[in-house]
Amino acid sequence: MKITGNIGFIRKNNVLSPLDLTGGELSFSVDQDETIQIYCLHLIGSLNIKVQLQKEGARCSLNCVYLSHQKTRKNLSFEVIHDEKQTSSEQIVRGILLDQSSMNFVGTIRIPSNSQKCVGTQNHRAVLLSDEASVSAIPELEIYADDVQCSHGSAVGPLDENALFYLQSRGIDKKHATQILLKAFLTDLMPNEIQTVIDEWMAEYV
Amino acid sequence: MAFLEIKNLHAGIGEKEIIKGLNLTIEKGEVHAIMGPNGSGKSTLSNIIAGHPAYTVYEGSILFKGKDLLSLSPDERANSGVFLAFQYPTELPGVGTALFLKTALNTKRKFLGEKELDAVQFMKRLKTRATALGITDEMLKRSVNVGFSGGEKKKIETFQMAFLEPDFCILDEMDSGLDIDALKVVSDGINVMREPHRSFLMITHYQRLLNYIRPDVVHIMVDGRIVRSGDMSLALYLEEKGYEDYR
Repeated sequence: MKITGNIGFIRKNNVLSPLDLTGGELSFSVDQDETIQIYCLHLIGSLNIKVQLQKEGARCSLNCVYLSHQKTRKNLSFEVIHDEKQTSSEQIVRGILLDQSSMNFVGTIRIPSNSQKCVGTQNHRAVLLSDEASVSAIPELEIYADDVQCSHGSAVGPLDENALFYLQSRGIDKKHATQILLKAFLTDLMPNEIQTVIDEWMAEYV
Repeated sequence: MAFLEIKNLHAGIGEKEIIKGLNLTIEKGEVHAIMGPNGSGKSTLSNIIAGHPAYTVYEGSILFKGKDLLSLSPDERANSGVFLAFQYPTELPGVGTALFLKTALNTKRKFLGEKELDAVQFMKRLKTRATALGITDEMLKRSVNVGFSGGEKKKIETFQMAFLEPDFCILDEMDSGLDIDALKVVSDGINVMREPHRSFLMITHYQRLLNYIRPDVVHIMVDGRIVRSGDMSLALYLEEKGYEDYR
């Protein structure tokens, strides 16, 4: 498979459309009671996505899957600014790293003091399939309002040895078992258009 | 040639030796039970036969149908006919049970040079075996072992065994966490599989399971070794006296 760039989609008013990620920098502002969902497959270079929730009731969901192999170094930054009260955001990032690849993720949630009753969540998980691969995940929560709900979590590690063994004990070889578990790790996260590329990548590199 | 032959097996985790010179021979069609107190190495033995990577074999050999089992990967062992019914089946969130079984079955068929089953043939085979063990369609739609009760997990393990038709079945504490009704269902599922070409190794603490699945040979395992072998009367003796005599 030829990797030419990153792939993005945006869902707004329930319509899914492609998002051009070539520049690596994107910013969005979300209006009153509006929801946007952004999906990206991060394969190369840097990606910075900034969202401003400008009006009450604005919501955003930022989703990224990153796949890294060989010696690729990547940077991903998600930044959500809750400009108004009662806005909500979620960031979901999942990564798979092989070989000597590395990833640097920074996820920012900023809630100024007058933006009460906001909800902001961030969750990052990555699977390392090589001892030489590495991830740095930095949550930056800048919260100045006192009546908000915010959470963040990050987990990075190899695949569960017992899960692999269970599949192998049923006759499935290690490579196929690894692919099954990775597919499960990324299940229901991305639109089909992106999932197809993920499947291709796994078939070729894992 | 014995069906399974374990000779002078020494094994453990890292430097810690758990199996300390174990010998065991199982002939084709036989059902053996290993009983023993906690920490005697029973579950370790079952994991080593199946090839769990956490354990190291220091010395000894395991021959299965004349083949050196220890040189095979866990999946090659499975496809050669070894099946481990786990004491604590691992949960695999996001991996659908039906798809998992289809992959496992077709991998084995391919390994044996048989034709893979198509979706229709697979579903037919799945339904037939599932009904017998009370496995519902809803259970097959769930992720592997996720959201199952202790009893359901054991039923699914037994079901997988019936479905994959292995030659050598290791049952690691199949009775733990089962109520009487579930124990009956699971034992019936195992008993119908008893055939002249298939052998079983049952690992258990209690004699209770052996009332449902009658073993040909009973072994007592203490501190990584088999210290005594006999028939069913040995299990009855243990039930009365405990393991005290063998410690």
